[in-house]
Amino acid sequence: MSPKPPPGHFNILYFATAGSYTSKNVEALPAPLPLKKLFDTLEERYKGIQASVLDHSLVTINLVYVDVDYAGSGNAEEVVIEEGDEVAIIPPVSSG
Amino acid sequence: MVEGEVIERDLKYQLPTNGRVTAAKHQDNGANGGNRRLKDEEFDRYSRQMIVPGMGKEGQLRLINSRVLIIGAGGLGCPAAQYVAGAGIGTIGIVDDDVVEASNLHRQVGHSTARIGMKKVNSLIQHLEDLNPLPTYVPYPYQLTPQNAADIISQYDLVMDCTDNPITRYLISDICVLLGKPLVSAAAVQKSGQLIVLNCPPTPQGLVDGKYAPCYRCCFRKPPPASSMVSCGEAGIMGPVVGMMGVAQAGEAIKILASALHIPPEADTNNNSPERNLQQPTLLIYTYDLDSAVGLYSFRALKMGGRKRNCFACGENSTLTLEGIKAGVPDYVQFCSVPTSSVNLPPEERITAAAYHMAKESGELSEHILIDTREKEHFSFGSIEGAVNTPFSKFLMKAAAIKRDGSPASEILPAEAGESDTPIFVVCRTGIDSQETVEKLKELGLDNGGKRRIVDVMGGMKAWKEEVDPAFPYI
Repeated sequence: MSPKPPPGHFNILYFATAGSYTSKNVEALPAPLPLKKLFDTLEERYKGIQASVLDHSLVTINLVYVDVDYAGSGNAEEVVIEEGDEVAIIPPVSSG
Repeated sequence: MVEGEVIERDLKYQLPTNGRVTAAKHQDNGANGGNRRLKDEEFDRYSRQMIVPGMGKEGQLRLINSRVLIIGAGGLGCPAAQYVAGAGIGTIGIVDDDVVEASNLHRQVGHSTARIGMKKVNSLIQHLEDLNPLPTYVPYPYQLTPQNAADIISQYDLVMDCTDNPITRYLISDICVLLGKPLVSAAAVQKSGQLIVLNCPPTPQGLVDGKYAPCYRCCFRKPPPASSMVSCGEAGIMGPVVGMMGVAQAGEAIKILASALHIPPEADTNNNSPERNLQQPTLLIYTYDLDSAVGLYSFRALKMGGRKRNCFACGENSTLTLEGIKAGVPDYVQFCSVPTSSVNLPPEERITAAAYHMAKESGELSEHILIDTREKEHFSFGSIEGAVNTPFSKFLMKAAAIKRDGSPASEILPAEAGESDTPIFVVCRTGIDSQETVEKLKELGLDNGGKRRIVDVMGGMKAWKEEVDPAFPYI
């Protein structure tokens, strides 16, 4: 696991183009945060990141995939990112 | 388990079909280890892997009776093919329309300097035949297309996606869903690699009540905007990163076929418990950091979800068919080229590389600043005299920060630019980023209400090499 985030925070890891966009591999953000607010929070910090990166990326919490629901299956409503969690933004890689 | 039981189970097994699976009529579905004696040459060659616990004669015969299709003979396909061939997979098909270039060789280890210019498929097969002459190698020296994909893929038990573009990735996944083929998918660019086993064991399209394995679309619903897609040719790639992913891909393919993991435990018509069939899919991520040794983020194994109910390809209301794909539905090219903010600069804000050079040499263009927005690695090989390097990624970050914090817009310009109305010229690698940079600088008001000229050098350093300086070290 990653270095422990400070109290009241969670870690967020940025992979591939998410890392290029933010110029970071990891940072700590204030917790708790409802999953459905995650993209807005990131958009506020990194303008344009939603369209360029987040919309087509996977999101995991503590190494497990979560559905940041677009179509409204209700999942994202309930999930809250808690203090000490590790969130990852994983854009697809296509080359080979 | 004695061999008799294995065979009996294999005979009972039939690929589940919902009427849309049309091409899965193999006499041997790859699960059949058979019961023949190994030939002497096989016995010697495969002895070291056959004695590994879990493999044995049964596993080896399954490999020998299996057919694997490798799509892409590049950085992933080369290492993947080496290990798949070495392990003795009986039939190995390879699809690629490209030819070997010198810039491939740091990572595409199945080719060689002597074979530059040769079709990659033929070059790789030559290498594989040297390594192991026993398998049958089938070359497909052309591109996989919506028209030919089903015909090719239907002849194999397992598909390895070693391609380099999203269009083909979505096509392969869709065909694998429709034909019921397990898909081992890997990708790598720059310093990142990904690996995931999809559609394994295969489940008929439309079944969603239960935990079924996901397809590529379940994981990556839509492709990134075309502008943010980078190829290895543009972004670069470290050889070991893509090599590692290709080798891991071969490992997964061998494991699946040797253990018949792609075959549901039983052709269970009465005992319908799909959970038992699901291999918890895992996305392996490899992040390679040039600045540090193997670190905390180097390897991650992420637990993925199962099939998505509303998946376009495998979900419950999917309308995807083989016939449709062949006829051009969906349109993969359009799907993968999401329109992006296309910058449309007026002609007076653009100049050709040749005209810029002329104006500079003739003295017509005296005081100005030239911003080169290539990444610093590209810049390090050479630049136009007097150019100042402001990498595009950093530029975008800075632009976003200025909008957010309201700090002075001039901070984004290099110190050389000053506060004056000195004209700014922008050059990048191929002429796309520079246009966006010009647009952004104007947005930030740095054209001083039109008093300061901000101009795009058309076609970037690529054009500079073509039009002005043929010796320029352009990558």
